[in-house]
Amino acid sequence: MTINTPEDSVCDYLAALLYEDVSAPEMPQADDSGVDLKDQARVLENGGRAHNIEPAKVPQEPADRVPVSQDLKVNSDSPTRAPVPTSVPRTTKPSGKAPQNAPEQDVALVDREKLNRLLSSAQPQLLTAPVPTPLKEPTPALIPEPIVEPQAAEQEPNVEVVEQHEAAIDLDWHDNGRPHWAQDRFDVLLFKVYGLTLAVPLIALGQIQPITEELTPLFGQADWFMGLQPTPMGQIKTVNTALFVMPERYDAEFLKTAKYVVSIDGLEWGLAVDSVQQPKSLDPTDVKWRTSRTQRPWLAGTIKAHMCALIDVRNMGALLMAADRNKKG
Amino acid sequence: MATSSTKTKSSDDPILQWVTFKLAGETYGINVMQVQEVLRYSEIAPVPGAPSYVLGIINLRGNVVTVIDTRHRFGLESGEINDNTRIVIIEADNHVVGILVDSVAEVVYLRQSEIETAPNVGNDESAKFIQGVCHKNNELLILIELNKLLSDEEWLDLEDV
Repeated sequence: MTINTPEDSVCDYLAALLYEDVSAPEMPQADDSGVDLKDQARVLENGGRAHNIEPAKVPQEPADRVPVSQDLKVNSDSPTRAPVPTSVPRTTKPSGKAPQNAPEQDVALVDREKLNRLLSSAQPQLLTAPVPTPLKEPTPALIPEPIVEPQAAEQEPNVEVVEQHEAAIDLDWHDNGRPHWAQDRFDVLLFKVYGLTLAVPLIALGQIQPITEELTPLFGQADWFMGLQPTPMGQIKTVNTALFVMPERYDAEFLKTAKYVVSIDGLEWGLAVDSVQQPKSLDPTDVKWRTSRTQRPWLAGTIKAHMCALIDVRNMGALLMAADRNKKG
Repeated sequence: MATSSTKTKSSDDPILQWVTFKLAGETYGINVMQVQEVLRYSEIAPVPGAPSYVLGIINLRGNVVTVIDTRHRFGLESGEINDNTRIVIIEADNHVVGILVDSVAEVVYLRQSEIETAPNVGNDESAKFIQGVCHKNNELLILIELNKLLSDEEWLDLEDV
Protein backbone atom coordinates (compact mmCIF):
# COMPACT_ATOMS: atom_id res chain seq x y z
CA MET A 1 0.00 0.00 0.00
CA THR A 2 1.35 3.39 -0.83
CA ILE A 3 0.57 6.78 0.51
CA ASN A 4 -1.66 8.83 -1.69
CA THR A 5 -0.98 12.30 -0.53
CA PRO A 6 -3.87 14.65 -1.22
CA GLU A 7 -3.57 16.67 -4.37
CA ASP A 8 -5.85 19.44 -3.23
CA SER A 9 -4.88 21.71 -0.49
CA VAL A 10 -6.74 21.48 2.72
CA CYS A 11 -7.11 25.21 2.73
CA ASP A 12 -8.91 25.01 -0.56
CA TYR A 13 -11.00 22.27 0.81
CA LEU A 14 -11.90 24.25 3.86
CA ALA A 15 -12.69 27.32 1.83
CA ALA A 16 -14.83 25.33 -0.56
CA LEU A 17 -16.59 23.73 2.30
CA LEU A 18 -17.36 27.03 3.89
CA TYR A 19 -18.72 28.63 0.77
CA GLU A 20 -20.48 25.69 -0.77
CA ASP A 21 -21.98 23.98 2.18
CA VAL A 22 -25.12 26.07 2.38
CA SER A 23 -27.20 23.09 3.39
CA ALA A 24 -25.09 22.26 6.34
CA PRO A 25 -26.64 22.86 9.73
CA GLU A 26 -25.81 26.10 11.41
CA MET A 27 -22.52 25.74 13.13
CA PRO A 28 -22.07 27.35 16.49
CA GLN A 29 -19.47 30.05 16.28
CA ALA A 30 -16.47 29.94 18.42
CA ASP A 31 -16.69 32.29 21.29
CA ASP A 32 -13.61 32.54 23.36
CA SER A 33 -14.47 35.89 24.78
CA GLY A 34 -14.86 34.56 28.25
CA VAL A 35 -11.76 32.45 28.21
CA ASP A 36 -8.47 33.65 29.45
CA LEU A 37 -6.20 31.39 27.49
CA LYS A 38 -3.14 32.59 29.26
CA ASP A 39 -4.59 31.62 32.58
CA GLN A 40 -5.74 28.35 31.17
CA ALA A 41 -2.35 27.60 29.77
CA ARG A 42 -0.75 28.43 33.07
CA VAL A 43 -3.02 26.00 34.75
CA LEU A 44 -2.25 23.35 32.20
CA GLU A 45 1.46 23.79 32.32
CA ASN A 46 1.48 23.79 36.07
CA GLY A 47 -0.04 20.37 36.01
CA GLY A 48 3.17 18.54 35.38
CA ARG A 49 6.63 19.22 34.23
CA ALA A 50 8.25 15.95 33.41
CA HIS A 51 7.04 13.44 30.94
CA ASN A 52 6.83 10.70 33.46
CA ILE A 53 5.02 12.60 36.12
CA GLU A 54 1.49 11.45 36.54
CA PRO A 55 -0.84 14.14 35.31
CA ALA A 56 -1.87 16.42 38.04
CA LYS A 57 -5.11 17.57 39.43
CA VAL A 58 -5.27 21.02 37.97
CA PRO A 59 -5.60 23.80 40.47
CA GLN A 60 -8.43 26.18 39.85
CA GLU A 61 -6.33 29.22 40.58
CA PRO A 62 -3.89 29.89 37.76
CA ALA A 63 -0.29 30.47 38.53
CA ASP A 64 1.48 33.52 37.25
CA ARG A 65 4.82 32.23 36.26
CA VAL A 66 4.21 30.70 32.90
CA PRO A 67 3.77 33.22 30.13
CA VAL A 68 1.77 31.95 27.24
CA SER A 69 1.17 33.95 24.17
CA GLN A 70 -1.17 33.24 21.35
CA ASP A 71 0.46 29.93 20.82
CA LEU A 72 0.75 27.74 23.78
CA LYS A 73 4.45 27.35 24.36
CA VAL A 74 4.92 23.77 25.24
CA ASN A 75 8.65 23.94 25.24
CA SER A 76 10.19 25.93 27.96
CA ASP A 77 12.89 28.09 26.50
CA SER A 78 14.76 28.15 29.71
CA PRO A 79 15.38 24.99 31.62
CA THR A 80 15.57 26.97 34.81
CA ARG A 81 12.00 28.12 34.48
CA ALA A 82 10.31 25.25 36.08
CA PRO A 83 6.66 25.24 36.99
CA VAL A 84 5.73 23.85 40.33
CA PRO A 85 4.66 20.30 39.76
CA THR A 86 2.03 18.46 41.60
CA SER A 87 1.57 14.77 41.69
CA VAL A 88 -1.89 13.47 42.12
CA PRO A 89 -3.40 10.23 40.90
CA ARG A 90 -5.39 10.39 37.72
CA THR A 91 -8.78 10.84 39.24
CA THR A 92 -9.93 14.00 37.59
CA LYS A 93 -11.30 12.61 34.39
CA PRO A 94 -13.71 15.26 33.20
CA SER A 95 -17.17 14.46 32.12
CA GLY A 96 -17.62 14.08 28.41
CA LYS A 97 -20.77 16.15 28.43
CA ALA A 98 -21.09 19.81 29.05
CA PRO A 99 -23.50 22.60 28.27
CA GLN A 100 -23.02 23.71 24.71
CA ASN A 101 -23.82 27.32 25.47
CA ALA A 102 -21.06 27.82 27.92
CA PRO A 103 -18.20 29.23 25.89
CA GLU A 104 -16.21 30.11 28.94
CA GLN A 105 -15.97 26.43 29.65
CA ASP A 106 -14.74 25.67 26.19
CA VAL A 107 -11.16 25.34 27.22
CA ALA A 108 -11.84 24.43 30.79
CA LEU A 109 -13.69 21.33 29.75
CA VAL A 110 -10.82 19.77 27.90
CA ASP A 111 -9.21 16.74 29.24
CA ARG A 112 -6.67 18.54 31.32
CA GLU A 113 -5.25 15.39 32.59
CA LYS A 114 -4.36 14.24 29.12
CA LEU A 115 -3.17 17.64 28.11
CA ASN A 116 -0.97 17.93 31.12
CA ARG A 117 0.74 14.79 30.13
CA LEU A 118 1.25 16.03 26.61
CA LEU A 119 2.57 19.37 27.61
CA SER A 120 4.85 17.98 30.20
CA SER A 121 6.20 15.53 27.71
CA ALA A 122 7.45 18.46 25.69
CA GLN A 123 9.80 19.45 28.46
CA PRO A 124 12.29 16.65 28.75
CA GLN A 125 15.01 19.15 29.44
CA LEU A 126 13.42 19.93 32.73
CA LEU A 127 14.32 16.52 33.92
CA THR A 128 17.92 17.51 34.04
CA ALA A 129 17.40 21.04 35.23
CA PRO A 130 18.75 21.76 38.70
CA VAL A 131 15.40 22.75 40.05
CA PRO A 132 14.05 22.06 43.52
CA THR A 133 11.37 19.49 43.17
CA PRO A 134 8.70 19.73 45.83
CA LEU A 135 7.10 16.55 44.67
CA LYS A 136 4.60 15.13 47.02
CA GLU A 137 4.70 11.66 45.64
CA PRO A 138 7.59 11.29 43.26
CA THR A 139 7.24 8.49 40.84
CA PRO A 140 9.88 5.79 40.99
CA ALA A 141 11.37 6.89 37.70
CA LEU A 142 12.11 10.32 39.10
CA ILE A 143 13.99 9.16 42.15
CA PRO A 144 17.59 10.11 41.56
CA GLU A 145 19.79 7.10 41.53
CA PRO A 146 22.74 5.86 39.52
CA ILE A 147 21.37 4.97 36.14
CA VAL A 148 23.39 2.67 33.98
CA GLU A 149 21.03 2.75 31.06
CA PRO A 150 19.01 5.93 31.35
CA GLN A 151 17.01 5.21 28.22
CA ALA A 152 15.67 1.98 29.52
CA ALA A 153 14.92 3.52 32.88
CA GLU A 154 12.94 6.29 31.29
CA GLN A 155 11.06 4.14 28.89
CA GLU A 156 9.54 1.81 31.37
CA PRO A 157 7.01 4.15 32.92
CA ASN A 158 6.05 5.51 29.54
CA VAL A 159 5.29 2.13 28.16
CA GLU A 160 2.95 1.75 31.04
CA VAL A 161 1.30 5.05 30.27
CA VAL A 162 0.84 4.14 26.65
CA GLU A 163 -0.59 0.78 27.49
CA GLN A 164 -3.01 2.31 29.90
CA HIS A 165 -4.07 4.81 27.34
CA GLU A 166 -4.35 2.38 24.48
CA ALA A 167 -6.76 0.32 26.44
CA ALA A 168 -9.05 3.31 26.74
CA ILE A 169 -8.95 4.40 23.11
CA ASP A 170 -11.53 3.36 20.62
CA LEU A 171 -10.90 5.04 17.30
CA ASP A 172 -13.52 3.16 15.33
CA TRP A 173 -16.27 4.95 13.50
CA HIS A 174 -19.91 4.43 14.31
CA ASP A 175 -22.81 4.14 11.96
CA ASN A 176 -23.81 7.72 12.66
CA GLY A 177 -20.76 8.90 10.75
CA ARG A 178 -18.74 9.90 13.75
CA PRO A 179 -15.85 8.21 15.44
CA HIS A 180 -16.35 6.67 18.81
CA TRP A 181 -14.54 9.48 20.55
CA ALA A 182 -16.90 12.03 19.05
CA GLN A 183 -20.18 10.61 20.21
CA ASP A 184 -20.32 13.26 22.91
CA ARG A 185 -18.35 16.39 23.46
CA PHE A 186 -14.69 15.82 22.85
CA ASP A 187 -11.47 17.73 23.20
CA VAL A 188 -9.04 18.63 20.51
CA LEU A 189 -5.72 20.36 20.46
CA LEU A 190 -5.05 22.78 17.65
CA PHE A 191 -1.78 22.93 15.78
CA LYS A 192 -0.44 25.27 13.19
CA VAL A 193 1.21 23.76 10.17
CA TYR A 194 2.51 26.44 7.89
CA GLY A 195 -0.65 28.50 8.08
CA LEU A 196 -3.04 25.60 8.24
CA THR A 197 -4.68 24.76 11.51
CA LEU A 198 -5.05 21.11 12.30
CA ALA A 199 -7.07 19.67 15.13
CA VAL A 200 -6.20 16.38 16.72
CA PRO A 201 -8.47 14.70 19.24
CA LEU A 202 -6.83 14.83 22.57
CA ILE A 203 -7.62 11.24 23.28
CA ALA A 204 -5.37 10.12 20.46
CA LEU A 205 -2.36 12.27 21.16
CA GLY A 206 0.81 10.70 22.39
CA GLN A 207 3.44 13.25 23.28
CA ILE A 208 4.64 16.64 22.19
CA GLN A 209 8.35 16.97 21.81
CA PRO A 210 10.47 19.81 20.54
CA ILE A 211 12.22 19.24 17.26
CA THR A 212 15.89 19.45 17.99
CA GLU A 213 19.13 19.24 16.10
CA GLU A 214 19.05 15.56 16.87
CA LEU A 215 16.37 15.10 14.26
CA THR A 216 18.11 12.68 11.93
CA PRO A 217 17.02 12.34 8.34
CA LEU A 218 17.42 8.96 6.71
CA PHE A 219 18.36 8.57 3.11
CA GLY A 220 16.15 6.73 0.71
CA GLN A 221 12.90 7.72 2.37
CA ALA A 222 9.84 9.49 1.06
CA ASP A 223 10.01 13.26 0.86
CA TRP A 224 7.44 13.66 3.61
CA PHE A 225 9.62 11.79 6.06
CA MET A 226 11.59 14.38 8.01
CA GLY A 227 13.61 11.97 10.05
CA LEU A 228 13.89 10.34 13.43
CA GLN A 229 13.55 12.58 16.43
CA PRO A 230 15.15 11.03 19.52
CA THR A 231 13.12 11.62 22.66
CA PRO A 232 13.33 10.24 26.17
CA MET A 233 10.62 7.83 25.10
CA GLY A 234 12.29 6.59 21.96
CA GLN A 235 12.52 7.66 18.38
CA ILE A 236 9.62 9.46 16.80
CA LYS A 237 9.32 8.96 13.08
CA THR A 238 8.61 12.53 12.16
CA VAL A 239 6.33 13.38 9.28
CA ASN A 240 6.68 16.58 7.32
CA THR A 241 3.06 17.43 7.92
CA ALA A 242 2.93 20.34 5.51
CA LEU A 243 4.20 18.19 2.68
CA PHE A 244 2.01 15.28 3.65
CA VAL A 245 -1.31 17.09 3.82
CA MET A 246 -0.90 19.83 1.22
CA PRO A 247 1.99 19.05 -1.09
CA GLU A 248 0.81 21.48 -3.73
CA ARG A 249 1.32 24.37 -1.34
CA TYR A 250 4.42 23.06 0.28
CA ASP A 251 7.22 25.45 1.03
CA ALA A 252 10.54 24.13 2.26
CA GLU A 253 10.49 27.00 4.74
CA PHE A 254 8.39 24.69 6.88
CA LEU A 255 11.54 22.78 7.72
CA LYS A 256 12.73 25.90 9.52
CA THR A 257 9.46 26.84 11.14
CA ALA A 258 8.51 23.41 12.45
CA LYS A 259 9.18 23.44 16.16
CA TYR A 260 7.42 20.43 17.61
CA VAL A 261 6.56 16.91 16.78
CA VAL A 262 3.21 15.65 17.97
CA SER A 263 3.11 11.92 18.21
CA ILE A 264 0.09 9.75 17.73
CA ASP A 265 -0.67 7.71 20.77
CA GLY A 266 0.44 4.13 20.48
CA LEU A 267 2.46 4.75 17.33
CA GLU A 268 6.06 5.66 16.68
CA TRP A 269 4.94 8.32 14.26
CA GLY A 270 4.56 12.02 14.89
CA LEU A 271 3.51 15.10 13.00
CA ALA A 272 5.81 18.09 12.74
CA VAL A 273 3.98 21.29 13.57
CA ASP A 274 4.88 24.94 13.83
CA SER A 275 3.11 25.63 17.08
CA VAL A 276 0.72 24.18 19.55
CA GLN A 277 -2.34 26.26 20.16
CA GLN A 278 -5.08 26.22 22.69
CA PRO A 279 -7.18 23.16 23.36
CA LYS A 280 -10.83 23.25 22.43
CA SER A 281 -13.82 21.37 23.63
CA LEU A 282 -16.13 20.61 20.75
CA ASP A 283 -19.60 19.35 20.28
CA PRO A 284 -19.90 16.75 17.52
CA THR A 285 -22.21 19.12 15.67
CA ASP A 286 -19.36 21.62 15.47
CA VAL A 287 -17.70 19.34 12.96
CA LYS A 288 -18.59 18.83 9.35
CA TRP A 289 -17.84 15.14 9.27
CA ARG A 290 -16.55 13.75 6.07
CA THR A 291 -18.79 11.16 4.57
CA SER A 292 -16.18 9.88 2.15
CA ARG A 293 -12.64 9.59 3.29
CA THR A 294 -11.22 8.05 0.22
CA GLN A 295 -9.34 11.03 -1.14
CA ARG A 296 -7.95 12.24 2.16
CA PRO A 297 -8.18 9.30 4.48
CA TRP A 298 -6.52 11.27 7.23
CA LEU A 299 -9.25 13.91 7.28
CA ALA A 300 -12.08 13.25 9.70
CA GLY A 301 -13.84 16.50 9.05
CA THR A 302 -13.61 20.22 9.19
CA ILE A 303 -14.39 22.60 11.99
CA LYS A 304 -15.84 25.73 10.52
CA ALA A 305 -15.72 27.70 13.73
CA HIS A 306 -11.99 27.34 13.94
CA MET A 307 -11.27 27.02 10.23
CA CYS A 308 -9.34 23.89 10.74
CA ALA A 309 -9.14 20.31 9.63
CA LEU A 310 -9.83 17.55 12.10
CA ILE A 311 -7.51 14.62 11.68
CA ASP A 312 -8.76 11.08 11.60
CA VAL A 313 -6.06 9.68 13.77
CA ARG A 314 -6.89 6.08 13.10
CA ASN A 315 -6.61 6.46 9.35
CA MET A 316 -3.61 8.71 9.60
CA GLY A 317 -1.88 6.10 11.70
CA ALA A 318 -2.92 3.35 9.33
CA LEU A 319 -1.53 5.28 6.38
CA LEU A 320 1.78 5.82 8.03
CA MET A 321 2.05 2.28 9.27
CA ALA A 322 1.16 0.92 5.86
CA ALA A 323 3.74 3.12 4.21
CA ASP A 324 6.51 1.64 6.31
CA ARG A 325 7.66 -1.44 4.50
CA ASN A 326 9.77 -2.46 7.43
CA LYS A 327 6.66 -2.75 9.54
CA LYS A 328 4.68 -4.84 7.14
CA GLY A 329 4.21 -8.44 7.92
CA MET B 1 26.03 -19.66 38.17
CA ALA B 2 26.30 -15.96 37.66
CA THR B 3 28.87 -16.50 34.95
CA SER B 4 26.59 -18.93 33.19
CA SER B 5 23.77 -16.47 33.40
CA THR B 6 25.93 -13.74 31.99
CA LYS B 7 27.05 -15.91 29.14
CA THR B 8 23.48 -16.78 28.32
CA LYS B 9 22.49 -13.17 28.36
CA SER B 10 25.39 -12.11 26.17
CA SER B 11 24.64 -14.82 23.66
CA ASP B 12 21.04 -13.73 23.54
CA ASP B 13 22.03 -10.13 23.19
CA PRO B 14 25.46 -10.01 21.58
CA ILE B 15 27.59 -6.93 21.62
CA LEU B 16 28.63 -5.78 18.19
CA GLN B 17 31.30 -3.30 17.26
CA TRP B 18 30.60 -0.67 14.70
CA VAL B 19 32.96 1.67 12.94
CA THR B 20 31.26 5.01 12.68
CA PHE B 21 31.79 7.58 10.01
CA LYS B 22 30.30 10.88 9.00
CA LEU B 23 28.51 11.56 5.82
CA ALA B 24 26.63 14.79 5.10
CA GLY B 25 26.45 15.61 8.77
CA GLU B 26 24.97 12.31 9.88
CA THR B 27 26.71 9.47 11.63
CA TYR B 28 26.70 6.04 10.11
CA GLY B 29 27.94 2.74 11.39
CA ILE B 30 29.29 -0.34 9.66
CA ASN B 31 30.13 -3.66 11.21
CA VAL B 32 33.76 -3.64 12.27
CA MET B 33 34.16 -7.22 11.06
CA GLN B 34 33.67 -6.00 7.53
CA VAL B 35 36.21 -3.20 7.75
CA GLN B 36 39.66 -4.08 6.57
CA GLU B 37 41.36 -0.75 6.88
CA VAL B 38 40.88 2.97 6.72
CA LEU B 39 42.94 5.02 4.29
CA ARG B 40 43.56 8.69 3.93
CA TYR B 41 42.20 10.07 0.75
CA SER B 42 44.45 9.47 -2.17
CA GLU B 43 43.90 10.20 -5.77
CA ILE B 44 41.24 8.04 -7.29
CA ALA B 45 41.68 7.16 -10.91
CA PRO B 46 38.39 7.49 -12.77
CA VAL B 47 37.29 4.61 -14.93
CA PRO B 48 35.54 5.42 -18.19
CA GLY B 49 32.24 3.65 -18.53
CA ALA B 50 31.98 2.79 -14.89
CA PRO B 51 28.63 2.99 -13.13
CA SER B 52 27.76 6.40 -11.75
CA TYR B 53 28.22 5.29 -8.16
CA VAL B 54 31.85 4.30 -8.85
CA LEU B 55 34.38 7.04 -8.27
CA GLY B 56 37.24 5.06 -9.69
CA ILE B 57 40.05 2.81 -8.59
CA ILE B 58 43.01 3.05 -6.29
CA ASN B 59 46.15 1.01 -6.00
CA LEU B 60 46.30 -0.61 -2.60
CA ARG B 61 49.65 -2.29 -2.20
CA GLY B 62 49.53 -3.63 -5.66
CA ASN B 63 45.86 -4.51 -5.66
CA VAL B 64 43.27 -2.55 -7.55
CA VAL B 65 40.36 -1.55 -5.37
CA THR B 66 37.21 0.07 -6.65
CA VAL B 67 36.01 3.08 -4.67
CA ILE B 68 32.30 3.71 -4.35
CA ASP B 69 30.82 7.16 -4.07
CA THR B 70 28.91 6.61 -0.87
CA ARG B 71 27.08 9.90 -1.00
CA HIS B 72 25.85 9.12 -4.47
CA ARG B 73 24.88 5.65 -3.44
CA PHE B 74 22.85 6.98 -0.55
CA GLY B 75 21.21 9.64 -2.65
CA LEU B 76 22.97 12.48 -0.84
CA GLU B 77 24.45 15.60 -2.30
CA SER B 78 28.07 15.38 -3.26
CA GLY B 79 30.62 16.82 -0.89
CA GLU B 80 34.08 18.21 -1.03
CA ILE B 81 37.25 16.37 -0.33
CA ASN B 82 39.20 17.62 2.67
CA ASP B 83 41.76 16.42 5.19
CA ASN B 84 39.19 14.36 7.03
CA THR B 85 38.06 12.46 3.98
CA ARG B 86 38.75 8.76 4.23
CA ILE B 87 38.47 5.67 2.10
CA VAL B 88 37.21 2.77 4.14
CA ILE B 89 38.19 -0.56 2.69
CA ILE B 90 35.43 -3.02 3.37
CA GLU B 91 34.58 -6.57 2.53
CA ALA B 92 31.00 -7.07 1.52
CA ASP B 93 29.43 -10.03 -0.15
CA ASN B 94 32.88 -11.53 -0.71
CA HIS B 95 34.07 -8.45 -2.52
CA VAL B 96 36.59 -5.89 -1.37
CA VAL B 97 35.78 -2.30 -2.20
CA GLY B 98 36.44 1.13 -0.82
CA ILE B 99 33.78 3.55 0.25
CA LEU B 100 34.46 7.25 0.39
CA VAL B 101 33.30 8.95 3.58
CA ASP B 102 33.60 12.45 5.00
CA SER B 103 35.45 11.25 8.07
CA VAL B 104 35.84 8.24 10.31
CA ALA B 105 34.87 8.76 13.91
CA GLU B 106 35.28 5.84 16.28
CA VAL B 107 34.36 2.30 17.13
CA VAL B 108 31.26 1.92 19.27
CA TYR B 109 29.91 -1.09 21.06
CA LEU B 110 26.24 -1.77 20.66
CA ARG B 111 24.07 -4.49 22.02
CA GLN B 112 21.86 -6.11 19.48
CA SER B 113 18.88 -5.10 21.56
CA GLU B 114 19.86 -1.46 21.26
CA ILE B 115 19.39 -1.51 17.52
CA GLU B 116 15.98 -0.38 16.39
CA THR B 117 14.34 -0.99 13.09
CA ALA B 118 14.45 2.01 10.82
CA PRO B 119 11.42 3.06 8.86
CA ASN B 120 11.29 2.33 5.18
CA VAL B 121 8.88 4.67 3.48
CA GLY B 122 8.96 5.73 -0.11
CA ASN B 123 10.15 3.96 -3.17
CA ASP B 124 13.85 4.60 -3.09
CA GLU B 125 15.77 1.36 -3.16
CA SER B 126 18.61 2.84 -1.17
CA ALA B 127 16.50 2.62 1.98
CA LYS B 128 17.30 -1.08 2.11
CA PHE B 129 20.91 -0.22 2.93
CA ILE B 130 19.82 0.82 6.39
CA GLN B 131 20.03 -2.06 8.80
CA GLY B 132 18.74 -0.12 11.76
CA VAL B 133 19.29 2.86 13.96
CA CYS B 134 20.60 3.32 17.45
CA HIS B 135 20.62 6.28 19.76
CA LYS B 136 24.05 6.40 21.30
CA ASN B 137 25.99 9.22 22.91
CA ASN B 138 23.26 11.72 22.17
CA GLU B 139 23.26 11.05 18.50
CA LEU B 140 21.49 8.72 16.21
CA LEU B 141 23.62 6.13 14.51
CA ILE B 142 22.41 4.88 11.18
CA LEU B 143 23.67 1.36 10.77
CA ILE B 144 24.45 0.24 7.26
CA GLU B 145 23.97 -3.23 5.88
CA LEU B 146 27.04 -3.42 3.68
CA ASN B 147 26.04 -6.70 2.10
CA LYS B 148 23.11 -4.91 0.52
CA LEU B 149 25.15 -1.99 -0.68
CA LEU B 150 25.27 -3.48 -4.15
CA SER B 151 23.13 -6.03 -5.87
CA ASP B 152 24.54 -9.17 -7.43
CA GLU B 153 24.42 -7.56 -10.84
CA GLU B 154 26.18 -4.48 -9.58
CA TRP B 155 28.92 -6.59 -8.06
CA LEU B 156 29.40 -8.16 -11.45
CA ASP B 157 29.58 -4.72 -12.99
CA LEU B 158 32.27 -3.81 -10.51
CA GLU B 159 34.31 -6.80 -11.50
CA ASP B 160 34.25 -5.49 -15.05
CA VAL B 161 35.59 -2.21 -13.78
